[in-house]
Amino acid sequence: MANFTKLSKLKPKSLGQNQEQDKHPAEQPEKVGLSGVPWKDQILGPDLETNIRQIKAILNNCSDVIYREFVLAQNERIRLALVYMDSMVDKAQISEQIMKTLSLEVPLVVIGEEITQAQALEFIKQRGLCIHQVKESDRFRDLIHAILSGDTVLLVDGHPTAIINETRGYESRSISESETEPTVRGPREAFVESLGVNISLIRRKIKSPDLKIETLRLGEVSGTGVALVYIEGIVNESLVSEVKSRMARIKVDAILESGYIEELIEDSPWSPFPTVNHTEKPDRVAAMMLEGRVAILVDGTPFVLSVPTLFVESLQASEDYYERFWFASAIRIVRFLAMITSLVLPGLYISLVSFNHGLLPTTLLLSIAAQRETVPYPVFIEVLAMEITFEFLREAGIRLPRAIGQAVSIVGALVVGQAAVQAGMVGAATVIVVALTGIASFVFAYSTSISFRLLRFALILLSGVLGLVGLISGVAVIGIHLCTLRSFGVPYLSPLVPPTTVDLKDTFIRGPWWAMLSRPRLVVKEEQQKQATELKPTPPETRS
Amino acid sequence: MEQGKIDSKQAILLMMSTVLPTAILTVPAVTVKFAQQDAWLSLLVALSVALIIALLIVNLGLRFPGKTLFVYPEEILGKIVGKIICGLYIGYFLQLGSAVVREFSLFLGATIMPNTPIVVFTILIIAVAAYAVRNGLEVLSRFNQLFIPLSGLLVIMFLLSSKEMNLTRVLPIFDTGLVPVLKGAAYPLNWLGLIVTMGVMLPYLNKPRRAYRVAVIATLLNGLFLLASIMGALLLFGPHLTANWLYPTYDAVRVICLDHVVERFESIILVMWLLGGFVKLGVFYYGAVLGSAQWFVLEDYRPLVIPVGVILGALSFLLYGENVADLDHFFTDAGIPSSVLIFEIGIPLALLSVDLLRGKGRRKG
Repeated sequence: MANFTKLSKLKPKSLGQNQEQDKHPAEQPEKVGLSGVPWKDQILGPDLETNIRQIKAILNNCSDVIYREFVLAQNERIRLALVYMDSMVDKAQISEQIMKTLSLEVPLVVIGEEITQAQALEFIKQRGLCIHQVKESDRFRDLIHAILSGDTVLLVDGHPTAIINETRGYESRSISESETEPTVRGPREAFVESLGVNISLIRRKIKSPDLKIETLRLGEVSGTGVALVYIEGIVNESLVSEVKSRMARIKVDAILESGYIEELIEDSPWSPFPTVNHTEKPDRVAAMMLEGRVAILVDGTPFVLSVPTLFVESLQASEDYYERFWFASAIRIVRFLAMITSLVLPGLYISLVSFNHGLLPTTLLLSIAAQRETVPYPVFIEVLAMEITFEFLREAGIRLPRAIGQAVSIVGALVVGQAAVQAGMVGAATVIVVALTGIASFVFAYSTSISFRLLRFALILLSGVLGLVGLISGVAVIGIHLCTLRSFGVPYLSPLVPPTTVDLKDTFIRGPWWAMLSRPRLVVKEEQQKQATELKPTPPETRS
Repeated sequence: MEQGKIDSKQAILLMMSTVLPTAILTVPAVTVKFAQQDAWLSLLVALSVALIIALLIVNLGLRFPGKTLFVYPEEILGKIVGKIICGLYIGYFLQLGSAVVREFSLFLGATIMPNTPIVVFTILIIAVAAYAVRNGLEVLSRFNQLFIPLSGLLVIMFLLSSKEMNLTRVLPIFDTGLVPVLKGAAYPLNWLGLIVTMGVMLPYLNKPRRAYRVAVIATLLNGLFLLASIMGALLLFGPHLTANWLYPTYDAVRVICLDHVVERFESIILVMWLLGGFVKLGVFYYGAVLGSAQWFVLEDYRPLVIPVGVILGALSFLLYGENVADLDHFFTDAGIPSSVLIFEIGIPLALLSVDLLRGKGRRKG
């Protein structure tokens, strides 16, 4: 409630609490309680009926809450009540491990021993319940939160304390192969929407007591679970506290995806470049943390954030580290070329064809000019139109139901590609340029490729107006902008600029594992060797 | 005022970008005009003088740790004279910056887009540099570092054009006599002497003790690159052709043609030169902005970025006449005596001598 008041000051009519108050004025006295304390700060009383009434008042109009009253060990004097959410619990567990045990099985074991009401709570907790995880609490805030998370609250008459049983059992997607980051070699599993499962996926990769998982709850209405995960001893402590302080200032009504958090903790919110990376692969997150990064897991999404983020990460894929280093390095260079291509190729084409013909070799110029003879528009309009068409196709491919998606690609390729050229509306070279740009933009990390997509249009405009000079100026501005960026204090372009020579081994190339001795210096701050020095394998001396 | 720090490598590279981008294009023609085939001797003379300037300015800067060229004249000569000298240096940087703007605008207008009004390029160049300057010295030097690996291509181009080179074109050695060689030295000295900008950078070095090394290495590298460009032009075209061209280095690259597959290399030199030009302008622009802010004793220099940019643009039109020839006249006739004698040697030397006599600055050591 305290936080709600803060929020309502900012945006008076935006939050549910106020509306609810308006809707049910009659419930108000009960909700606030006799003492006038907001329910979040209230504590339980000894009377079972009062406590249930209070919970019912808080959770009124929530038809999925179940209140089940029964007695302990057939003893009418010790009344108990279970409160849980119908849709979020494992019902078999509640029936078998709580109700059957307490009401039927306890009398069979405890023969001749009288359980008094005063002993009941301790008895149930120590000897009665067959639940793997139980907690005690006397605060309504905890109880309501537990009920809403799928736990079962056990109230005992005469005791101002309740037992919270872990009985979560709701449907969630099972672990499946990553769709956004497919790999040829390497683990295929991807995160799912459940925070608990995601944490287990990381824990399975790093079985170390140093793997620290700190959970917190964000979103005043949604109460989303968020976990900060890092490896103590590798991570820079100041980074952890910086992440924590940035998370602490998040006051929003709901966190539905990690993207909400990403935008709220970025260093440069206006930049087109992502300074917080995300991935859905546990092996990649584990590798990030082993390089000294902090991972941020959010309940309800398979996308895990990792900070700090460097620009070179968009050249890296988890597969690079599993393939042999020659191939991985070659692929890195290909990705870099693709990155440059996707950014400047259309702009370069426009400026060379429409302004600076002199810089093209003569034969190439002639062939382009011949193709463009029938084209009615200047090359700038032509490229712009084709680029926008390509964006249509791309977006259609993502949004359409999968069955129709194929039709779109056929229509796109045939109509836009073939027919436009045959009709003489677009030069074949333009189609080649746009297609090449499009393909190139899929080669490197998707999050950076989106930024490049936007910037590409800016460069097309600049080239259309000022030719090569405009293009170079645009690239220079992008370069300067990249130099200004930082992600959690680490220069975005490091280790390229400012150059850290030892860390260049994992940028445009991927050094062999036996040579990658240290962790990235700017991320972990102090020098850290991560493996033994003499790891390079050699054949045995003796030959037989 | 300036929060960032730059390291020694960044400072060296920044100094190279301060001198080379325009020098490498214009120096060969002008030097060869005076000293004919002995232009390389002129350059060596200029280099040795430039080294003295480098030592001078670093020595001066180290006496006043944390203070720039715009601040310590006041400490040495008192408030009024100090402010005047500071103002002169601001003017100097404005002149240097506007010359870069003018040179680039004219070059782009003349060679690439002849139908576009010059003012468009002027505004564009200043806008890009302003963005860098606004973000501070650190970003400027990082940007420089980001693109400077491209100049490795220059070395490749030099090697590629070497098959057309002929050593006999620099013979006979020292045929022109002493006076033309010295005259020819003045122009490259004008560029090499720009090492005085160290007076602005020095307080922002993360290891000020390395300043001597930075200044000397930067000057030597600058000298080496200029020597290569002069030798390249001379060996390719001989003294007479070189002297008559405006940009012999640009033309040297144009002769590269490998089986009609690798040709039109001049576009690459254009890209590099333009990117280098942004940095070069950025350095002078930054000097002018920082100087003005320190002159007015402001908390932050950023409000001055746009006004100074406008002044740079205006000066580029006012000072240098109509075309490239006028610009050249400005440099060869008026520019060299004033800038070399006053700003690169005169004032620093005077400041150092006064300080040695009065002992205001920290003693070396």
